[in-house]
Amino acid sequence: MLALAIFIVAFFFIATEKANKVAVVLIAAGAMAVLGLIPGSEVFFSEHEGIDWNVIFLLLGMMIIVGIVKQTGLFDYLGIWAAKRSKGKPYRLMVMLMLITAIASPFLDNVTTIMLVAPVTVVVCNRLRIAAQPYLIAEILASNIGGAATLIGDPPNIIIGSRAGLTFTDFLVHMAPIVVIVFAFFVVFTRFLFRKSFQNAPQHIDEVMALQEKRAITDPKLLVRCLIVLGGVITAFALHSVFHIEPSIVALVGAGVMVLVANIDIGEVLREVEWPTLTFFMGLFVMVSGLVHTGVIGDIGTWAVDTLGNNYLAAATSLLFGSAVLGAFFDNIPYVATMAPIVEGVVAQAPDPQTGEALWWAFALGADFGGNGTAVAASANVVAIGIAARTGHPISFWQFTKYGIVVTALSSIMAWVYVWLRYFV
Amino acid sequence: MTTLGTLSSRALRNGAMQAHEIAVNVPTVTIDDPVAKAVRVMAVGRLPGLIIVDDKARPRVVLPGTQVLRLLVPASYQEDPALIRTIDEAHADEFWSELGDRTVGDCLPKQPSKPVTVPAEATLLEVAALMARTHSPLVAVTSTGGTLVGAVTLDRMLTSLALSGIED
Repeated sequence: MLALAIFIVAFFFIATEKANKVAVVLIAAGAMAVLGLIPGSEVFFSEHEGIDWNVIFLLLGMMIIVGIVKQTGLFDYLGIWAAKRSKGKPYRLMVMLMLITAIASPFLDNVTTIMLVAPVTVVVCNRLRIAAQPYLIAEILASNIGGAATLIGDPPNIIIGSRAGLTFTDFLVHMAPIVVIVFAFFVVFTRFLFRKSFQNAPQHIDEVMALQEKRAITDPKLLVRCLIVLGGVITAFALHSVFHIEPSIVALVGAGVMVLVANIDIGEVLREVEWPTLTFFMGLFVMVSGLVHTGVIGDIGTWAVDTLGNNYLAAATSLLFGSAVLGAFFDNIPYVATMAPIVEGVVAQAPDPQTGEALWWAFALGADFGGNGTAVAASANVVAIGIAARTGHPISFWQFTKYGIVVTALSSIMAWVYVWLRYFV
Repeated sequence: MTTLGTLSSRALRNGAMQAHEIAVNVPTVTIDDPVAKAVRVMAVGRLPGLIIVDDKARPRVVLPGTQVLRLLVPASYQEDPALIRTIDEAHADEFWSELGDRTVGDCLPKQPSKPVTVPAEATLLEVAALMARTHSPLVAVTSTGGTLVGAVTLDRMLTSLALSGIED
């Protein structure tokens, strides 16, 4: 009960943002260690009862890779190119920006994608004298949908992939089809969703045309080298199960190669790593290990299995919609880190591996699409709303949520139909 | 505390100087002041930085001059050098006009760093080391109650060092 109490108090502070979340998880992890609620040194060495280093080093490697890719200026080039092609037509501009975001987010993490696309969006909207908020909101929604497609696209997927032993290819085969369908629907739906916000601005297109997108890319050779390495890393992710290499090793080797070919100062590269985020993950894993070690997770898992019996469609439904609702109101990273061992327990009781996997996909879809639910549901939302405020285009909690909740509801329903048809019919 | 350009005779006579003895009066701004005013205060006062105080005259942020420029550069450009390169000259010359009537508080980071301050009785070595460590050419000098009593500028610090006995 003590472990659960510490966890609930910490979760309260994380969810309400009443204190720095990194400090909260470190204090909670420390309290659990002092009180003997975590499995001692096992917390550093046990794959399932401690810090998941596969997740930490996968994130570290990808942060380094992305930190170098973003210096190439590619996204600024693409954003301005898209704006020029849109000729000031708002829906066309929104679709092009969403496409750039959704295509990038499965391969770069959502937060980075947003940090690359949002500033250029603001500049273009300022030039067109139109409100940037609808475009930024659409990009956030697109990044959370697109990121769901791969193992590395969204942090919840990294946690789920590592816990469940699912490969990059597994995610592509099982998640990408529904992500493509949901995104295609979303592109059409935005015309209706933002219909009152579209402002035609062809009279200011000259100011957009004055932007010099070619100047964004100062070193085309660096860009080509980075894209080749990024392509190699993605190929290696796709083949990691064939060669029995952990995704984290692929990311770390890729990061090393990227540093070599880019010939960039290592100190500068390491400044791009979000160390507080990595520390947050480590503390979170220690907290969850306290719940696993003291049997709380096991008890919840047993209760879930007893309640659901052999009705695995009901289990998948509960996981998908439950995760979408809870993932919408809490940051979906701590939510998934906590729920993953519970889901693992339920999956262990499944009659066959396919049914077990279906539960993991239902869980991933719910948590990923739930990230669109509210302004605080995913890190990308918080970061984008911060950029919007600093650039004079503030987005209120409800302004985002009124769009996000509709998209989450519709995408979750589509995902449920997909899970039902693909795994239970 | 002295006015800009003069050092107290006691300070020079005794050799051992404290921060308040070499501090000068500097104009300050609050977070509610427009950014344009902050820049004007710095330019007119020929200050190497800016002290932002709260309503009780306690230093809240001490910004070196280069960081005052951060107030002027629109947030969408600050972390994206590639995007800055795409801006045509006509707009690049007027980047500051995008600020409109934004205040100093609007442009500061959400969690600004601890203000660069020393107590009034701090030694020259303490002030110099703090300037060097924080890359700040301006240090706020505070009373025991935390209110601003003056500021030590880099120029003032170097003059004090020169006059207090650094040999050629």
